Amino acid sequence: MKVVSAIDEVSEIEAIPVASSTQDELYQQCAGEYGAALERLARAYEADADLRRDLLQEIHVALWRSFAGFDGRCSVRTWVYRVAHNVAASHVVHQRRARPQTLVGLEELENLPDASSAQAADRRQTLERLLGLIQHLKPLDRQVILAYLEGLDAASIGEITGLSPGHVATKIHRIKAVLALWFQAGSKEGGMRS
Amino acid sequence: MNPIVDRQAQQIWQSQPLEGMKMSADAIRLRAGKFERRIDRRNLRENIAGVFVIAFFAHSLITTHEILFRVTWGLFIVGMIWILVHLRLKGTPRSMPGDMGASTCLEFFRSELERQRDLVKNVWPWYLAPLVPGYLALNAAFIYHSPHPIRWGTLTLMDAFFVAVFAGVWMLNQRAARCLQRSVDELTAAQDAK
Repeated sequence: MKVVSAIDEVSEIEAIPVASSTQDELYQQCAGEYGAALERLARAYEADADLRRDLLQEIHVALWRSFAGFDGRCSVRTWVYRVAHNVAASHVVHQRRARPQTLVGLEELENLPDASSAQAADRRQTLERLLGLIQHLKPLDRQVILAYLEGLDAASIGEITGLSPGHVATKIHRIKAVLALWFQAGSKEGGMRS
Repeated sequence: MNPIVDRQAQQIWQSQPLEGMKMSADAIRLRAGKFERRIDRRNLRENIAGVFVIAFFAHSLITTHEILFRVTWGLFIVGMIWILVHLRLKGTPRSMPGDMGASTCLEFFRSELERQRDLVKNVWPWYLAPLVPGYLALNAAFIYHSPHPIRWGTLTLMDAFFVAVFAGVWMLNQRAARCLQRSVDELTAAQDAK
């Protein structure tokens, strides 16, 4: 297992020379640049480890195939995230038929039983709870929160999802409020324990 | 939200331990081939039940000597072929279209939901109606060729059961179509929101 930090990696890929890249080259460059982000994305969409591996491979195959038709109408980064989210959303729809689960919108997050009762302050548990929260979200809200956590700005998220920047900003505001609640509750409990 | 907490959420997300999956272009090609074969097998599985039913009708058509029964089995075969062709053309999910990156997440997800909605909403012309001529011919064949006095009560009961099953299938599909329409409306509202 390796730890990947990608806070500042999201904006550099725009420089890839599309016109001279073959499908394979473009794929390899993007897989290198976005491999970690795609793995995190797959993790947010599928809790089961085997199914997650399948989903991730499916995303990579879709990405490779999509580059045959990439015409530069949007940035490579937007293209990569759109393909990944669209494959993952299809996966969610398919899995919901097999394993029915109630998905909620961002506005309902604060009412989830786990949202305001942080049990642990350490990073691993926080991450697990965060994953649990994301996996309960409807696909569109899940796409917004994931893009936000990857460090994308509102305009980029709008380009990927198709939402207006204003609407993205509203959703991000809600995400931040929910996360603040979580972290506050987590640090209070951490403080009480120490 | 406190910007430190804001950054902390993104850091926790982006620094999570990953497996670091990598796929070469050759591995991707191999995987794409496997994926296509999986889709073919799925399509075959979906069609196999229909093929068995057609084979049964074909066997009945060949072995019967009564003209009305021959017409009945012939109409059932045509109806089944119509259903299978329609399922193949419109029912198969868009598994991995090459232009996935060209659609925003919202457009892609909505088009998938609309496709499913149209399929279940129009269940009458492509799934139920094709079997009606065969069933009516079967009724006529029973009445015309019956060697015994016709039991009208039994026949009426059988017809009532047939109508009830069809009505049930139609109503369930209309309910599913309404659910899908609600999801489509939600996405449309999200796209229109400023």
